[in-house]
Amino acid sequence: MPRRIASTTRAACFWVVLLSLFIMPAVYAKSVEPAGELMIHNFDPETGKRIIPNERCLTCHGDEKEKSDVRDDGSPVKIFVHSEQIEASVHGEQSCTSCHVTIDRVPHREAPKVVVGCIECHKETWDQHKDDPDGKHERLKVVNEQIDNFMDSVHAQPNKLDQSRTNATCYDCHEAHNVGELGSIQRAEKRLKNPEVCGRCHEKELEEYRTSDHGKAVLEKGDSESAICSDCHTTHEIASPETDKAKLAITKNCGDCHEDAQRTYFDSYHGQVHRLGYTNTAKCHDCHGGHEVKSADDPTSEIHANNRLENCRNCHTEANDNFLSFWPHSDADDRENYPTMWFAKRFMQALIFGVMAFFWVHVLLWLYREVMDRFQGKGFIEDLNHPDVVYFRRFPAVWRWIHGLFAISTMTLILTGTTLLFSHTDWAKTVVIFLGGVEMEGIIHRTAAVIWLGIFLSHLVIAICNIWCKRDKFEWFGSTSMLPNMKDLRDLRDMFKWFLGRGERPQFSHWTYWQKFDYWAPFWGAAVIGSSGILLFMPEKTALVLPGWMFNIATLIHAEEALLAAIFLNSVHFFNVHFRPERFPMSTTIFTGAIPIEEFKHDHRLEYERLVAAGELEDHLVKRPSRRADLAASFITSVLIMAGLALLTLVLIGLMTTPS
Amino acid sequence: MQRDDTMKKKVRNLFLAVLALLPASVLAGPSGEALSFTCAGCHGTDGSSVGPSMPAIAGMDPEVFVDAMKAYRNDQRNATIMNRIAKAYSDEQFKEMAWFFASQKLHLFPQAHDVALAERGFKLHEKHCEKCHENGGRPGDAGTLAGQWMPYLEYTMDDFLNGKRKWPRKMQRKVDAAIADEGQDALPALIHYYGSQQ
Repeated sequence: MPRRIASTTRAACFWVVLLSLFIMPAVYAKSVEPAGELMIHNFDPETGKRIIPNERCLTCHGDEKEKSDVRDDGSPVKIFVHSEQIEASVHGEQSCTSCHVTIDRVPHREAPKVVVGCIECHKETWDQHKDDPDGKHERLKVVNEQIDNFMDSVHAQPNKLDQSRTNATCYDCHEAHNVGELGSIQRAEKRLKNPEVCGRCHEKELEEYRTSDHGKAVLEKGDSESAICSDCHTTHEIASPETDKAKLAITKNCGDCHEDAQRTYFDSYHGQVHRLGYTNTAKCHDCHGGHEVKSADDPTSEIHANNRLENCRNCHTEANDNFLSFWPHSDADDRENYPTMWFAKRFMQALIFGVMAFFWVHVLLWLYREVMDRFQGKGFIEDLNHPDVVYFRRFPAVWRWIHGLFAISTMTLILTGTTLLFSHTDWAKTVVIFLGGVEMEGIIHRTAAVIWLGIFLSHLVIAICNIWCKRDKFEWFGSTSMLPNMKDLRDLRDMFKWFLGRGERPQFSHWTYWQKFDYWAPFWGAAVIGSSGILLFMPEKTALVLPGWMFNIATLIHAEEALLAAIFLNSVHFFNVHFRPERFPMSTTIFTGAIPIEEFKHDHRLEYERLVAAGELEDHLVKRPSRRADLAASFITSVLIMAGLALLTLVLIGLMTTPS
Repeated sequence: MQRDDTMKKKVRNLFLAVLALLPASVLAGPSGEALSFTCAGCHGTDGSSVGPSMPAIAGMDPEVFVDAMKAYRNDQRNATIMNRIAKAYSDEQFKEMAWFFASQKLHLFPQAHDVALAERGFKLHEKHCEKCHENGGRPGDAGTLAGQWMPYLEYTMDDFLNGKRKWPRKMQRKVDAAIADEGQDALPALIHYYGSQQ
């Protein structure tokens, strides 16, 4: 072998060996590719953000063996979450990081901050899906309403001790991982847990609640139907219990379960004031206690007989034992338990229906007859060629003033009184606000009542004086006497005959029977409304001599009689005096004091003839009232009629909308 | 004459176009892939290293990669030369490289290991390590352990134990617990377990 070849072979061998040194390990140690996806698939291709699957979170947070961990400072921290609960909840399809947006690395490089904002997501989702035809997101509407309520609530206010956080946030109350659908098991469980959830912050209240009938039912017997915190305090519209908003809401919410108690409460003065939107009156929790509500037979109950008076004295500082016999929840429709109230109400209602039915029939027939007569050219028709220049003096100045003041004070009393009676109406609430609140309304009502009673008594004194002065020749049943007599009954009968076209219109003396009724009805009314009003004027003084249930009776009678008066005066009286075709649109006699002689002749022919026969007519004749006096009287009458009709309208609205 | 003018204009336009594009192509900079070519010398082609003390970085979690590079650049992590290399790159370039390596498939090489020890290591891993180093330490947000070069793992654990590298949150507690369970065999067992994986 030539040397050159040999050396080439050696070199080649060397290179082969050298090469094999490099190649062999690679051939021997053949690499393998582990199964699985590439790392980049763990990241969102659009945002570049890491995708953290729920399973990854549950590796630690779903480990039942290690439900807690330690923080960097060594303190223990609960980290366990029930994955089954989350999956069964309304958020079951969400990923953990949809809410826990601060989590971007697993394992967490820093102690994770639990910063979860529920609001934005719920608002955005609702905005996106509110028009969806499938209605799957319908519940989000309620969620968003509650978000708005929460934002206005005291819970959404910054915490006083730590301004960086709110007093409470969504997941303080909602078990974040276990929010159930309506009607789900979670919901029932949540009701039972509610007191404990609120009690995490409101510890004192929870302890009080535990002792209550509600608390025992919920916490001891597991009765999810009994009242929990949110039933009274609302779920999201939480306001400080010192505010009117909270007090009104709580009382309303008690009634959601205790319907009868609320109905009877709203029938009482306390309830009426409350329903007008004012809370400076006895409310459910003022008497029954708030968190410690118990039945009356429990000696520790606030409504136990031994403790009740203390509650009354919170407002009625001088309340005596008689207050204990007041029925705060009297029910005039409950004959068994409140027979007195039942009878009082039946009597008053019979009176109202009887009087109104009779006189409205009277009004309608009268209207029919006068309209018919006018078509036939009959009845009293003003002679335009010979205008009245001679008038008959019907009322002296004192009666005119008395009637004017009486009318104004009566209307004031009706307005202020019916706001309580119809406290369910919007108009009542508006009127009370306009008047300056219930306390001011009480002052106005009492002031008007004093004037009203003062006028009534003054009139009585004047009338008695008049009779006394004429005692020698006063005829109790004479033509100018207000006392009803047999002729009135005959007149009434004859009027009905006339209404029905079966006779002539009767001739009347100085006072017709309907005028006498217009007088005696308020007389009776003044006695009844006045006496019951006096009982209610100063309850603490009344209770010195009368039992507490008298307030119930007095309130009922006062209201019913006032209702009768309000309807009668503003309808029947207005028709008799102003609206019947012969008088329409109004009679101003009560303010001018004078009636045209021809009109007097038509309405009071017997008296006219008597005066002519006795030669006394001249004594009563006066000149036509001045143009100014006539205008003034028309103005005042118009205003009062309008006011009266307005009141009648309000009362009828109130009656028609009264909750059954 | 006319043809000459047209020719001259064409040449001029071409020249201007080249002039205009040149700085743009320079500014665009090298891609993540191009940047990563320089790593191949130590970390192997596309990040699957062949040297036993060089960690495989193919298929590595990109955020873990960026964290590591930043730590090297800021001299916060014990290094041989990575601290010098890292200083040459911007955050953006770290990210480019991270995404390049994350897009690569990891090629693992069989390593000699003690099967019994690896079995003990598996149990230790399941008990103390799995929650962070999920799937037996496969590439993830806690780095790559499964199939990683065993000498590299050994050096790294030495760094942790000797205070040359800062422990990640909770890791020291877990390592202590593993050592309490298995004594001095704990770390070798774990390393053999990771080295045993393919």
